[in-house]
Amino acid sequence: MQFNQETYTFTDPGRFGKIMLIVGIIGLLLSAVGIAVDAHQFFASYLVNFTFWATLGIGGLFFVLVHHMTGAVWSVSVRRIGEAAMATLPMVGLLAIPMLLGVNQIFSWTDSAMMHADPILEAKLGYLNVPFFIIRTVVYIGVWILLSILLRRLSLAQDSSWGENAPSRFLRVSGPGTIAFAFTVSFAGFDWIMSLQPLWYSTIFGLWFFSGAAVTIYAFFAITSHALAKKGVLAKEITQEHRHDIAKLLFTFMVFWAYMALSQYLLIWYANMPEETAFFKDRWVGTWTFWSVFYPVAGFVLPFVLMMSRHIKRNRWFLTFWAVYLLLFHWFDLYWNIVPTFHPDNAIFSWMDLTLFVGMGGLMLWRFWAVFTRHPVLPVTDPNLQDSLDFVNQ
Amino acid sequence: MSATTSNASVRSTEPLVWGNPSFHDVTQTVSGIVEERKTPIWWWVAISISGALTLNFFAMMAYLFWTGIGVWGNNVPVGWGWPIVNFVFWVGIGHAGTLISAVLFLLRQKWRTSINRFAEAMTIFAVICALIFPGIHVGRIWVAYFMFPIPNQMAMWPNFRSALMWDVFAVGTYFTASFLFWYTGLVPDWATLRDRAQTKWRRLIYGVLAMGWRNGNKQWKHYELAYLLLAGISTPLVLSVHSVVSTDFATSMQFGWHTTIFPPYFVAGAIFSGFGMVMTLAILARIVYPPVKNYMTVTTLERMAKVIMLTGMMVGYAYITEFFMAYYSGNKYEQFVFVNRMFGPYAWAYWIMFSCNVIIPQIFWSKKMRTSIPVLFVASIFVNIGMWFERFVIVITMHRDFLPSSWGMFKPTIYDIGIFAGSFGLFFTLFLLFLRFVPMIAMSEIKGVLPQAQVKHHHGHDEGGA
Repeated sequence: MQFNQETYTFTDPGRFGKIMLIVGIIGLLLSAVGIAVDAHQFFASYLVNFTFWATLGIGGLFFVLVHHMTGAVWSVSVRRIGEAAMATLPMVGLLAIPMLLGVNQIFSWTDSAMMHADPILEAKLGYLNVPFFIIRTVVYIGVWILLSILLRRLSLAQDSSWGENAPSRFLRVSGPGTIAFAFTVSFAGFDWIMSLQPLWYSTIFGLWFFSGAAVTIYAFFAITSHALAKKGVLAKEITQEHRHDIAKLLFTFMVFWAYMALSQYLLIWYANMPEETAFFKDRWVGTWTFWSVFYPVAGFVLPFVLMMSRHIKRNRWFLTFWAVYLLLFHWFDLYWNIVPTFHPDNAIFSWMDLTLFVGMGGLMLWRFWAVFTRHPVLPVTDPNLQDSLDFVNQ
Repeated sequence: MSATTSNASVRSTEPLVWGNPSFHDVTQTVSGIVEERKTPIWWWVAISISGALTLNFFAMMAYLFWTGIGVWGNNVPVGWGWPIVNFVFWVGIGHAGTLISAVLFLLRQKWRTSINRFAEAMTIFAVICALIFPGIHVGRIWVAYFMFPIPNQMAMWPNFRSALMWDVFAVGTYFTASFLFWYTGLVPDWATLRDRAQTKWRRLIYGVLAMGWRNGNKQWKHYELAYLLLAGISTPLVLSVHSVVSTDFATSMQFGWHTTIFPPYFVAGAIFSGFGMVMTLAILARIVYPPVKNYMTVTTLERMAKVIMLTGMMVGYAYITEFFMAYYSGNKYEQFVFVNRMFGPYAWAYWIMFSCNVIIPQIFWSKKMRTSIPVLFVASIFVNIGMWFERFVIVITMHRDFLPSSWGMFKPTIYDIGIFAGSFGLFFTLFLLFLRFVPMIAMSEIKGVLPQAQVKHHHGHDEGGA
């Protein structure tokens, strides 16, 4: 790996990408064995890991949209990392294909006998049917890919043109893009996860899904900036001050996640209506009980108390620890939401959870690295770049 | 607020304060409004009207206490009528102040400095108006202390599982924290007024209010830390108060009320309505005190317009999600509530709500609209109307419950209308007093964001940023 500190470009992207590609392929091949061994488990693991890695791309898109919408200055120096993260969305599109092929294995609403047996479920057939589900998934991912391509293209155009009008061009995409993002992400949450229990519904579910994506991207920034700095990439450009801001936002969205999760739980617990409490009751059996207690403690209480300190946010090792921790918890969050429909009696972790995690992660990071190293890793002509480099937390 | 500002915030091409005033000019302009010997005629006219409405407010409340809440239009199935609508409306308005002063402070939005004092004052007055409604809604005002968990020999306690109980705590905490935050920010400005006072009484009163502030270096250091901590403490309150208010509805088993998106949806709506009211009042203040125009600049108003558009669309997102989920739920009762809201006898209210909150703010995509004072003023009024109707729709469309024989229409009485109008009287009376006796712009903070306050080297300024 060779990096030119003058032009902020990679002259040689090194082996990381290739290693990730190989790891990814091996991981997915191993997982493919799982279809033959236990297809039921395979698709449970697949959905958890697919939604996990999808939130990386979604989170990247969210970051770039918000960066342009708010005219943020501090985050210019990490913008290209965010852009490369959102550029993984075409890979998310590829990874969605097995989910769409396995739709009958994953979603109980594909069982027409069951749907027709219950008048409430029958009423949902207009929405919960395979062709419409596939169309919707294609539209969601298509919208994300389109936005990510447009924003990335503008960003690269900025490099060559000394983009005078760049801010307004970015705004023209990110303004309407944010609206499209809000609805597609929410409905992706409804479709991919909430519809696993077709009788159950919760209006906040889309926001919950989004909150996980937001946590993911800031955790990703914390980890990548640390890892890159160790290789001498952006070591001076992403300073402690930037990491402090990343940490604050990571903390903020962790709390936001908790706010979403609590709003959902509290209101359903309080009203105690059977069609709603079913969701939590399903997670209060067998060993799920343990994980349901673990959920708020690990997801909110511990990080809230232990990550609040300014010292911890400004220390790169502590921050990296909490970023990894919150990413792992985000994975568990999806697991806790998805898997009880596959394993209603007890929480079962499978080797496929791991191989699919590594497999998909390998492909996603390969794509990330390929995009990231192809162009300058700083938007060198951005009018706010100097201010971003000089940025100091007060 | 801090005297040292990172480059990031001053790089904006446009200065936050127009006309390049010196520190002394700021003091002169802002203190001048308070120190003006002759109270302007418009002020007397305005306070006469708002004072009359306030008197009417208290008179109608007296009649209410004497007669009972039957004087209102509340009747089953609309057991909660206008009082709860007004309560939520005023609490919502009260959200902008702390959002502007605390959340925008933590987000390093320097433009907040010109409107934060103003917005926080509005918050406090709005919360006062809000707190009156649950108080009088209990009907038996002489047992209002039941709302508080006071030990008593009858061993009677409020139900701690009741969302209404949480309201008392949430709104009470919010009021306390907002007030402390506001007052802390005011202390240096009270001291300025004290030091400039020409009369003994002024010096005494402002001196007591300034609590011995001497502009010492150490005092400023403590002040800045206290301000940061109060901002940190107030930030969760911005979210918690309206979340708790939303649970008044959402913890029930009432279709159309019981939905999990209510907490964030109400918070977004509250910020939306609060910014609407700040916008209305800021434009009025610019008209009656023209020097203020250089502080509450068109650019500041433009930024507020962006927040209004954003939060308006968040509310729109919630409307659409609720509507979709009513369909998706397959629940006939849930679906009926939404169809009834949109196409039933209260469709006019629903579409007023939807137009004012979601459609009208869309004009702010255009910079021309965002920077036109008349457009901003009219739009902010629509925001206020729309948000009142949002609560109206939520509360009043319960007029068709599970028992069709009890269906009917809600008819507000003269006391509903008079008390609602009266609360505006109280709000504006307090606000007019504020304009006359309290520096409406935070002088010390404005000075901190002026270009001449910027220090180029900011090493060693490590406080803050928790």
